[in-house]
Order: sequence, then C-alpha cells, then structure tokens
Amino acid sequence: MDDGTLLKPALYQAEGSAAAPDRPALLGGVCATCGYVFFPMQRYGCERCGGIDLHPRTLSGAGTLLAAARVHLHAGKGREAPFTMGAVALDDGPIVRTLIDNGGEVPQPGLRMATALAPAVDAEGGPRLDLRFVREARP
Amino acid sequence: MTVTLNDLRPVYVVGVGFHRYQFLSDTPYVDLGLTAVRAALADAGLPWPAVDSAYFAKALLPMAPGRAMLRHLGATGLPIVHVENASASGSAAFRHACLEVAAGLAEISLVVGVDKPMQVGRAESLARIGSLADDAIAPFTHFALLADAYAHRTGATVEDIALVAVKNHGNGSKNPFAQHQKARSLDEILGGKKIAGCFTSLQCTPIGEGAAAVIVASEEGLRRQGIGLDRAVRVAASAGRSQRVYRDATRYDAMLTQETAGIALSEAQISPDDLDVVELHDAFTVEEVEYVEAMGLCPDGQAVPRLKDGEFDIGGRCAVSPSGGLIAMGHPIGPTGVGQIGEITRQLRGEAGVRQQTGARSGLAHMVGVGAVCYVHILQAL
Repeated sequence: MDDGTLLKPALYQAEGSAAAPDRPALLGGVCATCGYVFFPMQRYGCERCGGIDLHPRTLSGAGTLLAAARVHLHAGKGREAPFTMGAVALDDGPIVRTLIDNGGEVPQPGLRMATALAPAVDAEGGPRLDLRFVREARP
Repeated sequence: MTVTLNDLRPVYVVGVGFHRYQFLSDTPYVDLGLTAVRAALADAGLPWPAVDSAYFAKALLPMAPGRAMLRHLGATGLPIVHVENASASGSAAFRHACLEVAAGLAEISLVVGVDKPMQVGRAESLARIGSLADDAIAPFTHFALLADAYAHRTGATVEDIALVAVKNHGNGSKNPFAQHQKARSLDEILGGKKIAGCFTSLQCTPIGEGAAAVIVASEEGLRRQGIGLDRAVRVAASAGRSQRVYRDATRYDAMLTQETAGIALSEAQISPDDLDVVELHDAFTVEEVEYVEAMGLCPDGQAVPRLKDGEFDIGGRCAVSPSGGLIAMGHPIGPTGVGQIGEITRQLRGEAGVRQQTGARSGLAHMVGVGAVCYVHILQAL
C-alpha cells in the first residue's frame, strides 16, 4: 500500500511491525537515556527524563482496551457524532486515545485491539486512509 | 532549603464576594468583576486603597483585562498581575497572593477571577506533535473514558456515578450564586441529553460566566485597618504541582491530585479525616468519585458506597462541593478556584446559611487544569 494515501503519515504506516506484521504500525519513539517509549515520535526532549537522544521506534499495532465511550455530541468540523473513542494500552507501552470501529457497539475494557486503516477524507475532501482500532481477530 | 506557606507569617482570608455564575449574557466582564470585588471589600470592611496588590485570574478573556476593570475602583497604582493557568487560574492566583502577603511584600492583596465564554485555542496544539484523534476528545470525552475505566475497575454503575450530580445539584439549589439552582432527581439526570459515555448534560459542568473575589491579609495589615480576626480564616497550606509521567497515564488527574493533596495535608499537619468541607474539580461526575479517593477521604473503590451513605452530603462526615461544585455552581474558569475559597471561607465562618456544614473547622479546595496542573489549599477556622 502507498503510504501517500494515509491521512497522518507522521503517526502510522500501512506496513506492520515484526510483532504484528499484518497490522499498521504506529510511529513512536524511544529515549536512549532512560528507555522511555512514547507515541508519537518527537524530538523536543524526553517527558520522563529530559534526555534529547530520541530515536524513532516502530510500535506494534496491538494492545488492550482500557476504556471506551460512545460520543453523542461533537462540535468540531469533519467528524460527525456518534462515534466511539477508546484508550488502548499498546503492547509496546504507550497508551493511545483513538477512534474505535466496532459496528457502533461499545467494546468492554480488557478486550484485545488491533490497528486497521479505514476510509477518511482530508481537509480538502480528498480520499485518505486513517487509523482506527478494531477488535483483534482471533487466531 | 525551601520553606512552605506555613513557615512564613500567617495569611488570612478576610473578605469574599461573588457575581453569580450564569449563562453567557450581555453583561460586560467589568460589571461582573466589580460586583465581586466590591462585595469582597464590603465583606472585609476594607476600603479599596488599603489593598496593596491585585491578582487577576482569567483563562478566556483577552490580554490585560485587569486595570481596565480595577481602575473604576480608583486608580491607586497598585501592582496588578494576570494569572492564566487553565481551570486552575483562580487557584494559582490565590496561591501567589497568599505567598506575597506571607512573605511580607504586601499586607493586603485582592484575588479576583473573571471570565466570559470565548473561543480560545490550546497552546499544546501549536507544538506540532500529532495525535491520532485528539480533535475528537472534548473534555467530556476524556472524562467519559475515565468513567468507563472507573466503572470497570470498581463495579460502579452509570446510576452510581450519576448520584454525584444529584447531590451537587441539590447543593446548588441552595446557593444564590450558582449557575444551576434546581434540585434534580436521578431520573431527571439520567434522562437528560446524552453527551458521551455515561454522561448526560446534567452530569457535566455548564459553560458560563461570572466572577469571584477574595481578599487575603496579614495580621499587621488588619491591625492597621482596625480590623480584628473575628471573621478571618487561616490559609493553612498551599500546594501546586504539575503532571509527571505516571504508570497509568490515563489517570493523571487522579495521580496528580493524590500527590498535590498529600503535600497540602502534610503542610497543614492534618489528615483527610480532619476535613469538614471540600470543594473539588467536579466538572464531570466521575471526577468527584476519583478525587475523594485520591485525596484519602475514603479508600480506593469506596467513593460510591460512601456517597450512598450520605457521607459527602452537607451534614455528612465531610461535605463535598457544598456550593454545588463545578456541576451546579458552575465553572466560568478564571473565577472557579477563587469561588471555592469563598465558599470554604463562608463554611468555616459559619456563614453558609442553608448550606452550612455544622461545626466546620477545616476545608480543602482543589482544582486541576489542563496541562495538567493541580492546586490544593487548606483553610482553617481560628
């Protein structure tokens, strides 16, 4: 897949990680000073120790749902309620807050989740793919 | 070695005043603020020229609203500083006024919070660090996620968490300065407009405007004005902290509250059991249950049973949000933390009328603000 179609190519890639090769990976970072793993990648400085030796790290698109909520009211442009938000603890450490695709049903905390790309539009209305978390397919 | 507020000379709250918190109106902010300041001066029995410095808390008003308002009291030339610290702006302003008086740089200082609803951006968005979907996470969604996690962790139901709103709307119905002044049943609250997760509109703080003012003073300042300590309330502790990296990153508000409240309680040399009244940042119902546990008012996971037992009612073991809290009293942002100090002062003076927590001697005010920052103050009757 061409990453040029992604809505936020600085945050994720279509290609998976070694741990989850079939799932889009998240583009995080790691602090060489203290080992703190974070998302997304940034170069300002480590939030935990202040170190500036920060390196990109591809994070696996798999994790565990911590919480979810159906949102019924949203004022921002380009997104219509209702939709479902969730907090997912990635297997690689960071916690991300993300859109959940689960057919309108609110999933329960503890559920295994994985990344997927879903159709979206950019600010100009052009077709793009954006990241969602969905229930992890059972092996 | 650093010192605490308690190591310096005593600081007292000697005057409180409000303009009612209300929905957006045509009233200029100057009217809102002057109403609160004049009420606080009258409450203290102090003339405006006796005030040495002013701290103006706001998060939404444009640059430098202070002198444009305060000059109408007479332009005495006092130093004015504006404090913006998100929801905790008023709490931060109060802390720094107390520190100035405690340090002896001023004898009498005014803290006033004024705001009107206006669209402002968040500086964090200018850092150019992307997010998957932060545009979709309004504050109510952030706390709806916490509510889902709290329910999952403790077994609390949607109805249990909504009981916070029943209590706080009941308290607000007795407060003439509250934005919402109507008692609500559990059915009314649960049947309201759906917002996010378990929240309906009456479980969320309203958007509004208003003003609150308090005057803090030293004993020397009061002596010079011929005023005694009869109605004074001592500021026993002041703590301010900001978010660190926590193991459970989603619960940073509670972790930060636990840390900041612990510092303040230690400084005041009291335990959570000694608190008679607490005003906390209950912008959303789940915050109250999270924070009473974080502060140590009850063990983890016990907030709902204690709430059901009436422990946090006015007349219970510790009245939580007797003003109505952010849910009913309102949260005009700049004024909110100042208003908490006003409510606790009235409680500790025994002047809270139908909202009075009988025999209240110690009170705690708590605010968190996006960032995140947290402030906790402890006040004590003399």
